[in-house]
Amino acid sequence: MLLDDTSRLTEHRLTRAEARDWRLVAAAFGALLLLVSYALPLFGQRISSATTEFSGGTVIEREYPVLVHEQHFAQTKRPIGEQLVSVEITTEQVSLAESTGYGWMAQIVQDSEGALRHLSMLLMMGLPLVSAVIAIALVGQSWRGPSGVPEALIPISIQLAALSVPGLFLAWFHQFDFSFLLLEQSAGALMPGVGFWLAMAASVTTAVSLFSLRNETRREIVNWWALVLAVVLVIWLLVRFRPFPYLEIWRFINDGILVTLRIVSTSFGLMLLVSLLGGLGRISSNRVINFVASLYVELVRGIPLLVQLLFIWFALPQVFNVIGAALLSVPLLEGAGQWLIDLRLDPFTAAVLGLTVCYGAYGAEIFRAGISSIHKGQMEAARSVGMSYVQAMRFVILPQAARVILPPVGNEFVALLKDSSLVSVLAVSDLTRRGREYMSRTFLSFDTWIMVALCYLVLTLFSSRMVELIESKTRFER
Amino acid sequence: MEPQTQASRSSDPIIQVRNLRKTYYHGKLVALDNVSLDIPQKQVAVIIGPSGSGKSTLLRCLNYLETPDSGDVIVDGISLSTTEQLAKVRAEIGMVFQQFNLFPHLTVLDNIMVAQRIVRKRNRDDAERTAKELLAKVGIADKGNSHPGQLSGGQQQRVAIARALAMQPKIMLFDEPTSALDPEMIKEVLDVMLQLAQDGMTMVVVSHEMGFARNAADRVIFMDEGAIIEDTTPKELFDAPKHDRTREFLGKILH
Ligand SMILES: Nc1ncnc2c1ncn2[C@@H]1O[C@H](COP(=O)(O)OP(=O)(O)OP(=O)(O)O)[C@@H](O)[C@H]1O
Ligand SMILES: [Mg+2]
Repeated sequence: MLLDDTSRLTEHRLTRAEARDWRLVAAAFGALLLLVSYALPLFGQRISSATTEFSGGTVIEREYPVLVHEQHFAQTKRPIGEQLVSVEITTEQVSLAESTGYGWMAQIVQDSEGALRHLSMLLMMGLPLVSAVIAIALVGQSWRGPSGVPEALIPISIQLAALSVPGLFLAWFHQFDFSFLLLEQSAGALMPGVGFWLAMAASVTTAVSLFSLRNETRREIVNWWALVLAVVLVIWLLVRFRPFPYLEIWRFINDGILVTLRIVSTSFGLMLLVSLLGGLGRISSNRVINFVASLYVELVRGIPLLVQLLFIWFALPQVFNVIGAALLSVPLLEGAGQWLIDLRLDPFTAAVLGLTVCYGAYGAEIFRAGISSIHKGQMEAARSVGMSYVQAMRFVILPQAARVILPPVGNEFVALLKDSSLVSVLAVSDLTRRGREYMSRTFLSFDTWIMVALCYLVLTLFSSRMVELIESKTRFER
Repeated sequence: MEPQTQASRSSDPIIQVRNLRKTYYHGKLVALDNVSLDIPQKQVAVIIGPSGSGKSTLLRCLNYLETPDSGDVIVDGISLSTTEQLAKVRAEIGMVFQQFNLFPHLTVLDNIMVAQRIVRKRNRDDAERTAKELLAKVGIADKGNSHPGQLSGGQQQRVAIARALAMQPKIMLFDEPTSALDPEMIKEVLDVMLQLAQDGMTMVVVSHEMGFARNAADRVIFMDEGAIIEDTTPKELFDAPKHDRTREFLGKILH
């Protein structure tokens, strides 16, 4: 039978002949073989200790109770002015039970620190297992279900099966901490056992047979979520294969990611509020409110974000001082004046303020367009049954406008995320600023910025996918 | 408004229109020109007239969806030009639109329940019971969980009527309720309106459905260029119109 077989095995209970289709049989066989192979010796020896020697006399000795860890980092980040001279490792035999796939996973889970530290090892070893379970579910449902091959499972099972093969290799790389120098040093002791090769063969079998089922579904086999995963994978591989400098960069900048996320989520929440008020102001028939809202939108959209941020950070305190001093001479308002003079914006507040003010202006236009896109008969109908303006907005207009507003607001979120890098000029330790700090310390400009760029990419790609997901969920309700 | 004054005025017309004037484009276009009109309780009044004659504008002034330039509307003793509680008065006046204007994001039941819940503050069960009763009354009891977009035009207009009735209004206003409908659906909507008229509802209907006007109306008002030209019984207006303009208009629509 050929790979481009286009028979449809869905939408009906499989006949006896169809149930014996090689793709189903081979997938089930591969999956079962994998479950068995994990009970055979996978990695029979392990690195138990390592001694790293540098030319200046620095010697690093380490013991590894379960799995070698950060040895690669230790030997690549040499002390200043020294060269790596040698790495000596000792390997030790592990018991038969512990050398199996299940055995290794159990050891890592039981080790109190290891489970988190070696999470990636668990993931890589778990991937083929999950893939096998899903393959079995798919085949089982095909044989027993009323509508043949469960089409929905096909894309995910193909993806997981295809990832299992590199996953197994990467699991093996954990045995020598992704350092081929260590693999050489072990003189063959770290070569995988029979279970590994059997698992590999099983994974290939499952992957190929599931892949040839792709014509049974009309769904996309790979969607854009895979790109998010791919970028995460690139970061992870960089960190593992070149721990120096990438692991160090990662450790240095990862708190910046949290700061960036905190700034972005706070400003986004506030921005939604400002946008709503601004949008309502722009469509208000009250001339003063309308004018104020329009002025805000026009002014703010005409000034670059960077200039706004610099103004808020450097010039606003002076404005406060002048106003405060003026208020001091006004009876009853001295307290307010003193408060203004004493007011100090911390960098975080200034950053959130700047982003909110700027993006609120763009958001106001989005909200205005969204609200005015709702037919005016809706407002009239709502008012005619006795709702107030606020009730009509809340229960009738905004829920409908939300669908129009959501996609552009989602795009604004992604733009906000990227533009948040500008707040690094305000002494906020966000992702960009942490990158700059690391670079000025080490002058590793290429490595630093590639890492920072990849981190932003994960965040933006992930947000874009989430926006799409939310959009598609709200589209159906009508 | 204390109940006593209301009772003492119960013989008064429930709607009193006083010298209404409404212009657009800063006075350049006069939509209503000094219109006065009384509508007693339980009366069914049909308004006819050529396009642009101000029928919709008049109707929309009756619940102040449109604010007149001058003049006043007094509904059940309350002057709309001065009242602080316009929303409360509007809740007593149901309105049905040419384009239905149902809330597309809500199910049919929720369309009928939403105002009961937030304006009348009824609890969920009461609101739902009322909604289901009304749906049965307009003959689409089985469509409660559909969204408006899934219904035919005639069904949507009947939901719109049910939505207005759910507030238990004293008056119902209809602005060309059947003119956006395919011919085969017009009857199902008119039947509901006819039933309503027989139940004694006060109704003001802008419509060119002559059959409805003849059968259900106590009174037909002919408008042209923002003014009431003729105001009499259906029989008299259709069979013996007094004004040339009325005659000309009837000639056009009756062929
Ligand atoms: N919102 C508005 N802005 C400007 N002009 C308006 C507005 N509403 C109505 N008009 C004008 O006022 C006049 C009366 O309009 P109205 O809608 O009351 O007429 P109508 O008798 O209901 O006509 P039709 O039979 O076409 O519905 C028309 O000339 C119309 O163009
Ligand atoms: Mg009209």
